[in-house]
Amino acid sequence: MEESNVLVVGAGVSGMKASLMLAEAGVHVDLIEKDSLIGGQTIKFEEVYPNMECATCMVSPIQQDVLQNGNIDVHLLSEIEHVAGKAGQFKIKIHKKARYVSLVNCIGCGACYEPCPVSVDNTFEEGLCQQKAIAVACAGALPNVPAIDPEHCLRLNGKDKTCKACQEACMFDAIDYTEKDETLDIEAGSILVATGFDLFDVNKLPQYGYGKFPNVYSAMEFERLYAQNGPTQGELTLRKEKDLKAIGIIHCVGRKEMGYCSAVCCMYSAKFAHFLKHKVPEAKIFEFYTDLCIPGKSHQKFYEATREKGVDFIACEDVRVDSQKDNLQILYTDGNGKESTVDADMVILSPAMIPGKDTEQLSKILGIDCDQRGFFNSQNEQLAPVATKKEGIFVIGCAEGPKDIPDSIAQAEASVGITLSQSR
Amino acid sequence: MDQKFEPKIIGFLCNWCSYAGADLAGSSKMEVKPSLSVIRVMCSSRINSNLVLASLLWGADGVLVAGCHPGDCHYEQGNYYARRRFALLKKVTEILNLEPDRLQLSWISASEGKRYSEVVNKFTEDIAKAGPNPIAQNPKL
Amino acid sequence: MNGQIGVYVCECGPNIKDRIDIDKVLEDISSLENVKVAKRFPLLCSNDGKKFLEEEIAKEELTHLVVAACSPREHEQTFMTVCKQAGLNPYLFQLINIREQCAWMIPDKEQATAKAIQYIRAGIQRVAFHRPLEPKEIDSIPDVCVIGGGISGLETSLSLAGKDRRVYLVEKTDSLGGMAGKLSKLLPYQGSELSSVEAKIKQAQDNANIEIFTSSEVSDVRGFLGNFDITISSHGESSEARKIQAGAVVVTTGFGLYDPGNDSQYGLGQIDNVITALEFEEMLGKDKLLLKSGKPPKSVALIHCIGRKELGYCSKVCCLYSIKFAHRIKDMSSDMDVTELYMDLCLPHKSDQAYFDEAKEKGIRFIRSGEDVLVKNKGTQIEVEYDRDGQKDSITVDMVVLAPAMVPSEGTTALAEMLNIPLDKTGFFKEIHEILDPISTPIEGVYIAGCAVGPRNIPESIVQSQAASGKILSSLIPGKKIKPEVKVSEIREDFCTGCQTCLSICFYGAISYDPIKDVSVVNEVICRGCGSCVGSCPSGAIRSKHFTYPQLYREVLEALR
Repeated sequence: MEESNVLVVGAGVSGMKASLMLAEAGVHVDLIEKDSLIGGQTIKFEEVYPNMECATCMVSPIQQDVLQNGNIDVHLLSEIEHVAGKAGQFKIKIHKKARYVSLVNCIGCGACYEPCPVSVDNTFEEGLCQQKAIAVACAGALPNVPAIDPEHCLRLNGKDKTCKACQEACMFDAIDYTEKDETLDIEAGSILVATGFDLFDVNKLPQYGYGKFPNVYSAMEFERLYAQNGPTQGELTLRKEKDLKAIGIIHCVGRKEMGYCSAVCCMYSAKFAHFLKHKVPEAKIFEFYTDLCIPGKSHQKFYEATREKGVDFIACEDVRVDSQKDNLQILYTDGNGKESTVDADMVILSPAMIPGKDTEQLSKILGIDCDQRGFFNSQNEQLAPVATKKEGIFVIGCAEGPKDIPDSIAQAEASVGITLSQSR
Repeated sequence: MDQKFEPKIIGFLCNWCSYAGADLAGSSKMEVKPSLSVIRVMCSSRINSNLVLASLLWGADGVLVAGCHPGDCHYEQGNYYARRRFALLKKVTEILNLEPDRLQLSWISASEGKRYSEVVNKFTEDIAKAGPNPIAQNPKL
Repeated sequence: MNGQIGVYVCECGPNIKDRIDIDKVLEDISSLENVKVAKRFPLLCSNDGKKFLEEEIAKEELTHLVVAACSPREHEQTFMTVCKQAGLNPYLFQLINIREQCAWMIPDKEQATAKAIQYIRAGIQRVAFHRPLEPKEIDSIPDVCVIGGGISGLETSLSLAGKDRRVYLVEKTDSLGGMAGKLSKLLPYQGSELSSVEAKIKQAQDNANIEIFTSSEVSDVRGFLGNFDITISSHGESSEARKIQAGAVVVTTGFGLYDPGNDSQYGLGQIDNVITALEFEEMLGKDKLLLKSGKPPKSVALIHCIGRKELGYCSKVCCLYSIKFAHRIKDMSSDMDVTELYMDLCLPHKSDQAYFDEAKEKGIRFIRSGEDVLVKNKGTQIEVEYDRDGQKDSITVDMVVLAPAMVPSEGTTALAEMLNIPLDKTGFFKEIHEILDPISTPIEGVYIAGCAVGPRNIPESIVQSQAASGKILSSLIPGKKIKPEVKVSEIREDFCTGCQTCLSICFYGAISYDPIKDVSVVNEVICRGCGSCVGSCPSGAIRSKHFTYPQLYREVLEALR
């Protein structure tokens, strides 16, 4: 049986790589993404470890390829509603939200943003800046076409049904307020689930002071501060203005609660230190960790180089954050049981990777299991890590469990290998 | 002389990083001085010495070669070759009695729209101050 | 030049129209000698625009097309397709960027217009020197040679073999199964017993499309993607050589183990009852946990990270298998004292930590001992001394098990040379791109998977093997031809001096030397078109098919006018 169509759920690096490989094999792919842009979490990083490679430079050719590939149909603002059938003949209903902006007519000129009277927190930018109710998530977003947020758009939420500021600014007839959500019916031989991850909500751990002390940041917020195309264009503009003399990075936030190590945080925390040493060379950097999880071939060398730059790596337990006058204080218990304190002007928390919030619901729709941590369950963690208990449905990338980009891509390619192998 | 000197600058940009960065500068509506003309190539390693020297001899007051940051080259190693060739070119400019700062090598990534505009504007300013290229000849092909 | 160039300026709504005086542009461009027609259009990338261009190409009998609009990164493919549909070679086309890099960057309309004119003129000069390029199609052999018959090699072979694709599986030792075959048990929470390895071996042996060569090695490799000529030599007295042809090669040669005998601090080979993890596996396999004296031990110390400091990387699997050992010991005899000494606990997979927590619950002790561990004789027992944050401490045990680092397997360097693929600083095979392409090498058609690439566990090796198979199944399809890059380099023999500079420059191994003609030759099937060779050729003998010297010189010259 020739594989004729595959549904890929999630357009992050895993989903995109799998789609491109299938397309190359001549298989048609329906790639659905719940957000209004493709790229997943990787496009939020400025650099990726261990070589500090520019994430945008790395991912944008892949994004371009996906959008221009004749064998891949991308459906944005789309989620699975219902799945019936079995391997070789899945019948899937997709709920596609209205974008209100035509992907065909819009050329990405951005003339519609300024006239919009509504500003909301930009979730892509972790709330560090605002965007209009009609906007693209970030500079360089692909596709370069905005979407209207119907919850905040005055016209669409009914607060001002006469507002058509964006439509009036558009020269290409790209805005259509009458667009409706729709249901797509897709048939596919296989389904690849690449829905990625979320990060542990650091608000749930008051001992770290997030939300209480303005200069305590979560890792993703810091990634956006660090990014050249972010809200501060790579400048470390803090919530509460302060001279950066000491910065503390706390690993394993939420590890105890979740019961597993998230595999990537030690390395990205070292990446942060590497960047900070370059950006604020006079500042003291401290890293607080439980165990160093640095298993990649070149990871240890990177860690050692970071340490040699003068970054203090402290193995400890019971880390908590307090404040004394204007300073943040990081309190911890070292290997010998002694309590110590370090003063800091900024604290960055590296939270555990957790299952995406829709994982449980999606697992029920697909008829596959979740493991006790909430990630999608493999058929056999040892011998069939990307297969699930349901034939024809695969789970790849961080949807299966915490892992870094190369391992996610290997899983994406493996799922395609199995799909193509079985369909001969 | 009342006329303000408008320099002519050639910029060789690699397709994957610096050209993308230039595009981003444009789509972010950043103002970039028009003195620089962009010549697109696939990789900064394509730029051989003759191309740079010919540009200077034909009247370019400045030449900018831009590629991916070291380690980020789309073809893995190309920008390392560009870097080495460039170091050699700098020496050649001395022999030609040309100010070495008329040649510049910059690493600009696809996300660095702002940096692109800063690099080009500064380079344009510096070349304008340096004045017309003293070794420019009548171009003949 | 007898060309008829058509130049079309896109208004792009207000984006170009409002910021550039298009009529002035057209006036200037129309005056040029080789420009047949210069027109404007509201939106060229729209369906109407594309139709318009197609009609214009036919109507005006254009030999070259120039479009002045947005960035080529945006719509170069779009308009190339239009050319194809209109019967014009798509490489006789140039897209001039007058939006992102002109209209959007220059607020002054006069300056922007002048710049647009300059760019369009330069582009016209360039396109006049474009040549029509035809995509090639190359025959390929779908068969695959897999080097290494461990779990990775078995998985790859089983995944690939089919009635239209033969797999040649080459194994150096006399049996399949590799290192996994030497284990007594796999990690229990990962689902299964070792019978799974045996089952895979049997499946491979029973598969009519997999030809297995044991006690054999690959002794020669020539050719390129789709067309490799490989010689397989068998060991032994009647060493025969068999020549096969394959379209791809997958390297799954696995790993070796660091020899702790190198370091006297661990006492291996000097102190009784100090053994390596592999020796311990053997003991467990026989269900006989005994000291040299023949009695069972009452206490065991498991030391992690052996060789980590020397080699400079963590081997990822040792913490887990050391915990597995501890569990097994406790299961055999619950009152045995078990201590694990480690530098850092590496538990990166989602179920690892729970397994570790269970071990602690069984009373297994975990001590962060740092990297300076000293193993000494203490009568009939063994003393393990360690340094913990400046404080010296020690434990006394009956048996010590050393968990050594994973190292590249023997023969890695020679194989890398034969295949022309690189090794990284750790000595393992190097991925072409550590992040985006962990299975490929710079040599197209040669893939690497499993521990041959670096320390990883069995599930990860299996995933990588399936990924390698995915790469081959999607690109090397029986009956389908390979369509390589079009804008490649080519070498003009008359100018080539045979200096071979380009050979060392090419990252993809796409250039070879012809000793008879004393020239270098570009393999257009695997050339990626970067132009590194072009830029470095001292004779200027190498031409980039779509970025030639005349094209670039003309563009520069016009821009400087």
